[in-house]
Amino acid sequence: MSAASPFAIVALALVGAMAVALLEQVVAGARPSPAGVARAALGTLRQPLAVPQVKDAWLYHGAPVLLLLGGVLALATVPWTPGFRGLDFSTGAILYSACLAYVTPAVLMAGWGAGRPLQVVGGFRFVALMLAYEMPIVMAVTAVAAPAESLRPAAIVEIQHAVPMALVQPLAFALFVPAVMAVAFIPPFDLPQAPGELGGGAFSAYTGVHAGIVSLAQKVLVLGAAGMTAALFLGGWHGPLLPDALWMALKTAAVAAAMLAAGRRLPRAELPWLLGAAWKYAVPAAILAIVWAGFVSLAVYQ
Amino acid sequence: MISLPVVLIAAALLFGIGLYGVLGQTNSIMVIMGVELLLGAAALNAVGFLRYAWPEAASGAMFVLIVVTLMAVEATVGFALVVATFRNRRTAELDDLTDLKG
Amino acid sequence: MSGLGTALVFWPTAAIMLVTGLYVFRTSSMARAGLLLLASLGVEGLIFLALASEFLGVLQLLMMSGEMVIMVFFMVMFMADPGGLMGMDMTHDKRRSAAAAVGVAVALALLALLTDWPAATLSGEAPDVRAIGFEVMGRSMFTFLFAGMTILFAIVGGIMLAAQGGRLGIAAPGDDGVAVPPPGRAGQHVPPPGGEEGHAMHGAEPAR
Repeated sequence: MSAASPFAIVALALVGAMAVALLEQVVAGARPSPAGVARAALGTLRQPLAVPQVKDAWLYHGAPVLLLLGGVLALATVPWTPGFRGLDFSTGAILYSACLAYVTPAVLMAGWGAGRPLQVVGGFRFVALMLAYEMPIVMAVTAVAAPAESLRPAAIVEIQHAVPMALVQPLAFALFVPAVMAVAFIPPFDLPQAPGELGGGAFSAYTGVHAGIVSLAQKVLVLGAAGMTAALFLGGWHGPLLPDALWMALKTAAVAAAMLAAGRRLPRAELPWLLGAAWKYAVPAAILAIVWAGFVSLAVYQ
Repeated sequence: MISLPVVLIAAALLFGIGLYGVLGQTNSIMVIMGVELLLGAAALNAVGFLRYAWPEAASGAMFVLIVVTLMAVEATVGFALVVATFRNRRTAELDDLTDLKG
Repeated sequence: MSGLGTALVFWPTAAIMLVTGLYVFRTSSMARAGLLLLASLGVEGLIFLALASEFLGVLQLLMMSGEMVIMVFFMVMFMADPGGLMGMDMTHDKRRSAAAAVGVAVALALLALLTDWPAATLSGEAPDVRAIGFEVMGRSMFTFLFAGMTILFAIVGGIMLAAQGGRLGIAAPGDDGVAVPPPGRAGQHVPPPGGEEGHAMHGAEPAR
C-alpha cells in the first residue's frame, strides 16, 4: 500500500458517494442533478450544530464517525484494478466482513445515544437483524475464497478470469447480495432506519452535520457493497475489450443500480419474517454453499 | 523496541483488570465481561509468544483460535444461565444468589 | 512490520486497551460498559495485527463486534440501571478485589521479566493464513473438532437453559400443578401429584 493510497481511497469514497446519490436519483426516475446533490451536502454543513437533549453525548457523536470509518475501511478492502488494490491484506475478504460488522455497534450507539425510545428500539432491531446477516456474508465469502485458495480479494478476482463466480456458485451469490444490501441499509431490508418505520428509526435523531455524515456513510457502504460484489462474484476487472478500471466501474455501477432499483420495487421486509428466514433458511443454505464450494474447487479448479 | 516481556506485561495488566472485574462486580453480566478480558489477556500472551519466541509454530495460532472460541462459548452459556436465574429469582446480582452459602 | 512500526502502533493501542478495559468497570452506564469492552478487545485485535498475526487480528476484530453488541443487549435486559443515570455502585469487596488483581498482575509481570525466554529467531513472521489452514486441517484437526462440538453443546445447552419453561417445556392446559417441595424439608421426597414418573423427576421442579 503506497503512501498516496489513503488519500486515493478517501477521494474515491467522496466521488463514489456522489455517484451513488446520482444513481439513486436516476433509479427514482428523476433527472440526475449533481448540483442538487452538492447543494444538499453543503447545506448540511451550513446548518447550525444543534445538539438535541441526548442521553449519552459520547455515543451520539461517536456513532456517525464509527459508521463512516467502517464504511471507508470496507471500501478500502475492495480490489478495483490490479494497480489500485487499496488495503491489500492477505485476509482482505475477512477484513471486509469485519469492517461491515462495525456497522452494528454504530447503529446501536446511534439509537442508544439519542436516548428516545423509538430510536433505541430501531437500533436494537438492527442489531438483531445484523447478527443474522453476518453469517451468510462470512460464509459466502469463504465459499468464494475456497476455489481461489486465498482470502486476498485480488486473488479471488484473478481466479475468475474465465468464468465469473456468480455462475459457478449461484447459492453463495444469492446469499451474499441480500445480506450485503441489508448492511448497506438498502431497501427492502432497511427496516430499522427507514423513514416510515417507528418514528424514523435509529438515525432520525441526527440533524445537520451528523445527518450529512450518516448519509455519506450509507452511500459509501452501498459503494463498497456493490464493489465487493462485482469483485468477488462478477469477475472484477476481467472483460474482453475495455480497460480494467472501466470494466470494474461498469460492473460496480450495474450492481449498485440493481440494488437500488430492487429497493424501490420490492416491499419492505417485515421483521419476524426476515429474522425467521435469515436463521432458518439463510444460515443452513450458507453451509450448503460452502459444501458446494468445496466440491467445485476440487472438481473444477484443480 | 517491543520484545516479548513488554507484550507479556501488557497482557498481565489486562489480566489484572479482568480479575478486578470478576472479583469486584456484583452483577453476573459484569463478571462475564471480566472473564472476557481474562481470555483476551491469554490470547495476547499466545500471540506474543507466537511472534517473538516460536514464530513457526502454527499451533500457537490454533491456541488463539480456541481461546476466541471459548470467549464465545462462555458468553453463550453465561448469558443462558443469567436468563434462567433472572426468570426464577428476578435478580442477576450475585449478592442475592446465596443459596449455597453455609 | 518493522520494529519501529510495531512500536509506534503498540504503545498507544496497548494504552487504549488497558484504559478502556479499566473504565468498563468504573462506568455506571451499561451501554458504555459494553462498548468500552468492545473498544478494548477490538483494539487488542489491532495489536494482533501489529504483531504480524493478520488472520488472528482480523478474526478478533470480527468476532468482538458481534459479541459485545449481544452483551449490551443482555445488560439492558437484566440490570437495574442501564442508563447509568443514578450512579449505582455495583461493586463489592472493592479493596480486596483490587489488591488481588494488582497482586496477580505484578506476579505475572515479574514472571515475564525474570524468565529466560528463547531469543527471537530471525524471520519473525507469524504463520500466515495458509499455514494456519494446514495446521487446522492437519495436526490440530482433533482440537478443532472438539471445539466445534463444544460450540454445539453450548448452543444446545444455552437454549435449554434459557427456554421458557425449562427443559420440560411449558405446562400444557390440563397438567396438574407443579409440585413445589415444602420449604425446609430438603431431604424429604415429595411425590408429585399424578404419581411417580420415574427417577428423572427428582429435583426437576424449579421454583416457578
